[in-house]
Amino acid sequence: MDVFRPRESAKTALNNKAIEAENLAKIYRGNIKAVDGITFSIDQGEIFGLLGPNGAGKTTTIKMIMTLTTKTSGSLHVFGLDVSKYSEQVRKMIGYIPQSISVDADLTAYENLLIFSKLSYVEKKERDSRIHKALEYMGLSARKDEIVKRYSGGMMRRLEIAQALVNHPKLLLLDEPSIGLDPSSKKQVWDSIRQLNQEFGTTILITTHDMNEADELCDRIAIMSEGKIAVMGTPAELKREVGGDIITVEMSDSYHIPSFPKVIGKIIRNDDLEIEILTEDGEQAIPLIADFFRGHGISVESISINKANLDDVFMKYAKRRLTDEMFKSVRKTRRDFARHSR
Amino acid sequence: MNIRRFFSSAITITEMEARKIRHDSTELWTRIIQPALWLLIFGETFNTIRAIPSGNFSYLQFLTPGILAQSVLFISIFYGITVVWERDVGIITRLLSTPSPRYSIVLGKSIAAGLRGVLQAIMIFLLALILGVKVRFDPFDITGVFLVVILFAMCFSCLSMLLASYMKTRDRMMGIGQALTMPLFFASNAIYPISIMPSWLQYVSIVNPLTYAVDAIRSLLVEGNYANLPIDILVLAISTVIFQVLASRTIKKLLE
Ligand SMILES: Nc1ncnc2c1ncn2[C@@H]1O[C@H](COP(=O)(O)OP(=O)(O)OP(=O)(O)O)[C@@H](O)[C@H]1O
Ligand SMILES: [Mg+2]
Repeated sequence: MDVFRPRESAKTALNNKAIEAENLAKIYRGNIKAVDGITFSIDQGEIFGLLGPNGAGKTTTIKMIMTLTTKTSGSLHVFGLDVSKYSEQVRKMIGYIPQSISVDADLTAYENLLIFSKLSYVEKKERDSRIHKALEYMGLSARKDEIVKRYSGGMMRRLEIAQALVNHPKLLLLDEPSIGLDPSSKKQVWDSIRQLNQEFGTTILITTHDMNEADELCDRIAIMSEGKIAVMGTPAELKREVGGDIITVEMSDSYHIPSFPKVIGKIIRNDDLEIEILTEDGEQAIPLIADFFRGHGISVESISINKANLDDVFMKYAKRRLTDEMFKSVRKTRRDFARHSR
Repeated sequence: MNIRRFFSSAITITEMEARKIRHDSTELWTRIIQPALWLLIFGETFNTIRAIPSGNFSYLQFLTPGILAQSVLFISIFYGITVVWERDVGIITRLLSTPSPRYSIVLGKSIAAGLRGVLQAIMIFLLALILGVKVRFDPFDITGVFLVVILFAMCFSCLSMLLASYMKTRDRMMGIGQALTMPLFFASNAIYPISIMPSWLQYVSIVNPLTYAVDAIRSLLVEGNYANLPIDILVLAISTVIFQVLASRTIKKLLE
């Protein structure tokens, strides 16, 4: 399928990074440091996730890339082009889905795409086929001639994604794309993002509050907090850093375990009927733990696993007051564990 | 910058407006009420009592171009509200994130205001026909009126977009629109000739673009005397270009 393949332009050599930001900063009026000197780069063909709590500066970063707002200082290049000098060329290479709905509710879906593709200078002979393919791809063909006002929120979101595809972007900026989508539409959006990336090498920058989504999709992740990048790496690297998985064993009778083999893990809680064990790799530890309990003649009701996830990473780096006390303690023990096992 | 692309973008923005009007034309019909009241009540009354000198023509004939210009002024001076609303629902973000240059988007928006102005003019022609006001229904004059209306609507819609870039909210735009329309209207030749104004107001009316628009429309529609037409159009064109350039430069502020 050749539907959404971006066209190579002469100006953008292959060896350029898709995005290159150096000490990029945006200060709004009133001395609000929305983005406070961030440096990062995104390779061509990468799916990059930008995470962070509300107000961290994610949308502002995306708007600077999209040339919707001007940077205060630093440098920003998209496929080697300086965004402040070549804003029109830069916009031509990017597909953008803003955080809030931006389709025109007074037009039909088809008209929305038609106007947008005209403004994006999609060639006339290709226009109609691209529009129809994008509508079909997002499952909107049947209702393409209906006024968008009558669409549901999720359908509008899908229309926006369709819109971002008609100009065959080399770079797709998605600001919380799956907000308001039902699980199946969300899955569909994830699939299309992956497909665009794999088949056509589209570079993707995505912001999200859904850690699961970030984990599923992204090759690399940066967590922003208060305008700065707090940490950056692959999801696996980041998860490793916050510690291992927690195994909870529920016993039939109360039993206190005096010593536990260090190779399996470390007991972090031993209540009457429940034991929590911190391990480096939960899946591998479960059979060993089961053997251990059987060996000691302790009968076990259930064994459950709580894998380290990006939520933990997020909580660690996102400066925000936690309300969930339990979560805090789990995090603390995980951190301790990480420190110990170093 | 590619000229062909530039104009094609502007026309696309206008097309967008035309499609919206096609889907829902209620606004067009409600906009006929006010000019109808002006002509029916104010016009008929002053026509009868002959309180205002209107030269060789009846007062209704004199007034019709003024009311036409007034209603186009309303459409265009409040056009910024539409743009602020479009900002609120994300459409401006969408438009500004296309590769189309900002100038072409502002130009397209102002032509769209011109389109609304022309539709309004057609309505007022119909109204004049119904009321039996004698106007010159000559193809050349009608076309001329349309062109003047477009230019005039472009001029004030650009001023409105320029103001919107700074005002940023619908409420403020509503306020500023109301604060502007009445002074502009009364300091013009829309409902009485300049010659009967106090002299200070005459000076104000000279720098008021509305005066030139009314004058141009009146000479095409009623008088058939084109002597002042070049000056009228020149003044309108220069103001349009100035507001156009300023609005294009500031429109991005709307997003901040
Ligand atoms: N137009 C603006 N004018 C002034 N301050 C702004 C503006 N837009 C954003 N900010 C401020 O900049 C900071 C970063 O905002 P931004 O929208 O980039 O956050 P975000 O990471 O996208 O948050 P969220 O997850 O809530 O979308 C916030 O403190 C916000 O109040
Ligand atoms: Mg945001």
